[in-house]
Amino acid sequence: MISAYYFGAISLVLIGLYAVLVKKNLLKILIGLSIMETGVNLLLISIGYVSGRSAPILSEGITPSQAVDPIPQALVLTAIVIGVATTAMALSVAIILYEKYRTLNIEEIRRLRG
Amino acid sequence: MNELLLITFSPLVAGVLAWLVRIRGVRESLGILGAIVPLAFLIKLYPSLDHPIRATISLGGFELGFSMSHLNWVFSMIAAVVGLSAVFGMASTAKDSYEWLFSLMSLTGALGIFMAQDLVTFFIFWEVMTFSSFMMVLKFNRAASLKYLILSIIGAYSMLVAIGIIYAKTGTFTFADISAFFRKEAMLAMLGGKSTFSRFDMALIYLLFLMAFGVKAGMFPLHVWAPDAYSETDQSYTAIFSGVLSKTGVYGFILLYVLMYGKLLIDLGQFKGTPLFGYIIAFLGGLTIIIGGVLAALQEDIRKLFAYSSISQVGYILVGLGIGTSLGIEAAIYHAISHALFKGLFFLVVATIIYRTGKTEFKDFGGLAEKMPFTFAMAFIAILSLAGIPPLVGFASKWLIFEAVISQKLPILGGMLFFGSAIGFVYLIRFTYAVWFGQRPSDIEDTKDAPLPLAIGMGILGTLNVVFGVAPGLVAKELNAIFGNPVIGGNIWELDLGFGRYNALLVAIWLVIGVLIAAILYFLGASTRKVPVTDTYQSGNPVTMEYNLTIRRNFFLPLKETMAFWLRISFDKLYKDTWKAIEDFAETARNYIYNGNVQAYAWYLAIILLILAAMGV
Repeated sequence: MISAYYFGAISLVLIGLYAVLVKKNLLKILIGLSIMETGVNLLLISIGYVSGRSAPILSEGITPSQAVDPIPQALVLTAIVIGVATTAMALSVAIILYEKYRTLNIEEIRRLRG
Repeated sequence: MNELLLITFSPLVAGVLAWLVRIRGVRESLGILGAIVPLAFLIKLYPSLDHPIRATISLGGFELGFSMSHLNWVFSMIAAVVGLSAVFGMASTAKDSYEWLFSLMSLTGALGIFMAQDLVTFFIFWEVMTFSSFMMVLKFNRAASLKYLILSIIGAYSMLVAIGIIYAKTGTFTFADISAFFRKEAMLAMLGGKSTFSRFDMALIYLLFLMAFGVKAGMFPLHVWAPDAYSETDQSYTAIFSGVLSKTGVYGFILLYVLMYGKLLIDLGQFKGTPLFGYIIAFLGGLTIIIGGVLAALQEDIRKLFAYSSISQVGYILVGLGIGTSLGIEAAIYHAISHALFKGLFFLVVATIIYRTGKTEFKDFGGLAEKMPFTFAMAFIAILSLAGIPPLVGFASKWLIFEAVISQKLPILGGMLFFGSAIGFVYLIRFTYAVWFGQRPSDIEDTKDAPLPLAIGMGILGTLNVVFGVAPGLVAKELNAIFGNPVIGGNIWELDLGFGRYNALLVAIWLVIGVLIAAILYFLGASTRKVPVTDTYQSGNPVTMEYNLTIRRNFFLPLKETMAFWLRISFDKLYKDTWKAIEDFAETARNYIYNGNVQAYAWYLAIILLILAAMGV
């Protein structure tokens, strides 16, 4: 039986992918990208989870053997930052595109570009 | 320093020096020196040929091996003699150092091919030759050079694949080992044992080599590059191009016999008592003769005429080779020698004509014989030799090929040969009359005779045409040395095949006597009268301008109209159409796949991920 964490995370990725593949509105595609990114982050985190252990912070009464895997958490921290940066960048491109073409429908934009 | 390496590399070194020096006079002497050295060493090596001479150099992990026995010597001599004459010609016609570099480099390539003793060396020099001749054509005509390069590359890759197959199964590149391996294979196959090379392997290797050597020899239907490449370059260089470089393809076919004759014979079977693989070469050679000859007759440009004629003549060599008897192969090598001699001479004559008049089309010429007597004499020798008039070298070699075909009782090939000789007269008569006789257009009134270097070049080839023609036994003796037994009997003046003989000295003596009698009669009081050119051809009838066929303009138009249907079928056009179709297809595919739609790309990505997931990666 596949774990609910994996199932949920992969579902999020697929929902995001669906939005990227099918939706015509640029903002909806960007939303799809964001959802995909969230799904990927959740998947990474759930890979590092070990049932019954606590957060990987060395403190009173917690030894390395009692903590979950810290590496995915570090990865995800990086991935979140990258994700925010790309989203911000993409949104600024979307603003420019709207100012230039007065529409956010990607097919319209392609047609107008010639 | 070993002599073989000196022979191979001295043209290249001279070419590089000539390219660096760039001083007129010094450059030319360097080039000529670079072409003399191989010839001198080849002559010096001749007495020690009975024990093959070897040399090796190591290059990047490969041992490049050279060796020299009788067969290599004959072909290297062709390269060295024609190369030297062409280099003399280039001293007059070459415009800059670029031409010196690449023409001498291609001479090195040809010499290396003829002396190679393993497949790696063979291939490396093959590519050196292709590259340098491509660079020569590139300087004069881009489109022609690209056509040449593409066909050459197809040929070169075919050869590389064939070499790869052979190496994978035998584990050696050396000719001697490969030949021994295939002999063992043939014995095994004859006894019904299991052999390393299946019948399919042999057919594949044969086809790949056929393609590789066929391109260089200008064999039908791979000849389409040759008319453009031969005509669109320095005509002195074309003497090397057509005289020597086309022989590398011929030499390749001989190599096919040397390396794997028995195995090919057993695996591919026989046809009418001739090995099938040889018959295919011979039949394609026959088609080459006919197609080259007919197209040569229809050309309006002398350079093109000789380019097609050169293709046609190589066809004879292929027919001789394809028959595969020792007589056939000797005849083919003989014709390779005579083709190099008369075709080299022809292209030097054309180079002289173009150098002096700057014109290339028949309609601009006429009456040059009085203005250029020496060049005319040389052209006349070449014409007689190509047409196969005794006692010139062209007759001896063509006669041998005819005898070889007839003795094997191959009527179709025989018919092709006879047709080729007839059509040879058809195009030569036009060159003879249109350029040298008749009325001279006023703008070439003050044409001078050949410059000294070109005259020397033509003189060397012209003399050899006559010497080897009157004394065909000289060549035959050397050819017998290749086989080690006297295939062609007779003495120095006479060729004797057992069922036919040809005494060149006798013919020559009778010819001289006949010419003397004719001259006496002429000077004793033949009355001559000048007639306008048009009167000779239209029997006094008035002709309209649009159907005015003088020997200088559209002389063979009726032939062209008769053959219109066949002329429309052209392999050149087929290749062009194929090329266009590939380009169109690629363009469509590109437009369809790279459509610029981001979502489409996302779809490709998703599909690939799905496939990877399905494969369980």
